[in-house]
Amino acid sequence: MPSERSFPKAIASLDEVFSHLESFYSAESIDPRTAMAMSLVVEEIFTNLVKYNTASKNPIVLRIGRDGDHVHLELVDRDVDRFDPSTLPEVNIDAPVAQRRPGGLGLHLVRAIVDHISFEYEDRVMRVAVIKNLERGDV
Amino acid sequence: MFEMTRSEDGTIRLKGRFDAAQVEAHRADFEGIATSCVLDFAELDYISSAGLGLLFATHKRLVDAGGGLKLVNLKPYIRELFDIAGFDRVFAID
Repeated sequence: MPSERSFPKAIASLDEVFSHLESFYSAESIDPRTAMAMSLVVEEIFTNLVKYNTASKNPIVLRIGRDGDHVHLELVDRDVDRFDPSTLPEVNIDAPVAQRRPGGLGLHLVRAIVDHISFEYEDRVMRVAVIKNLERGDV
Repeated sequence: MFEMTRSEDGTIRLKGRFDAAQVEAHRADFEGIATSCVLDFAELDYISSAGLGLLFATHKRLVDAGGGLKLVNLKPYIRELFDIAGFDRVFAID
């Protein structure tokens, strides 16, 4: 059964978010490397919702649960305008220093870490769902 | 919590979690790095794209002035993030 908790829509909520995640990692005996990767995934999605979905101040809902070797995460942002992060341009990690631009790196990291990610928008509700395979040897 | 301290030899030691909230709290500290230096990651447990972005902006500013940052003692999973970000080809990493 996934746990569900809401957090104020602010970067300052991150400490509280991490604390909640640590409880899950401890309860599920998630190894530190995977825990770090999962926390990064949640931070990147959470901060994107804070930065880009500015139409409402509703709390962001975080659901997390384990199904065998997979962790399922969902972040839900209610009463927001449509924002589809999947349409953002890919970051060019091969560009020389002078030509690299900020932005897009967080989603690039998330895509490299998770095994599945989906973005859904319906009735002014944004849902970002990810699945992480715990058996992967990398981050 | 995130801390950065400068040793007598000029090395800057990073400690703790460098997340988006800590980046905002420490942005001015990084903007105050005026010359090339070594960043010691031995006690850094976590970094996100916000932290990577601030490190990159600091490095780029120093590169433009003829210098740069050198990163040492990265934990394996943090080094892996640098590789995924393509930063292994941007920074000098030991």
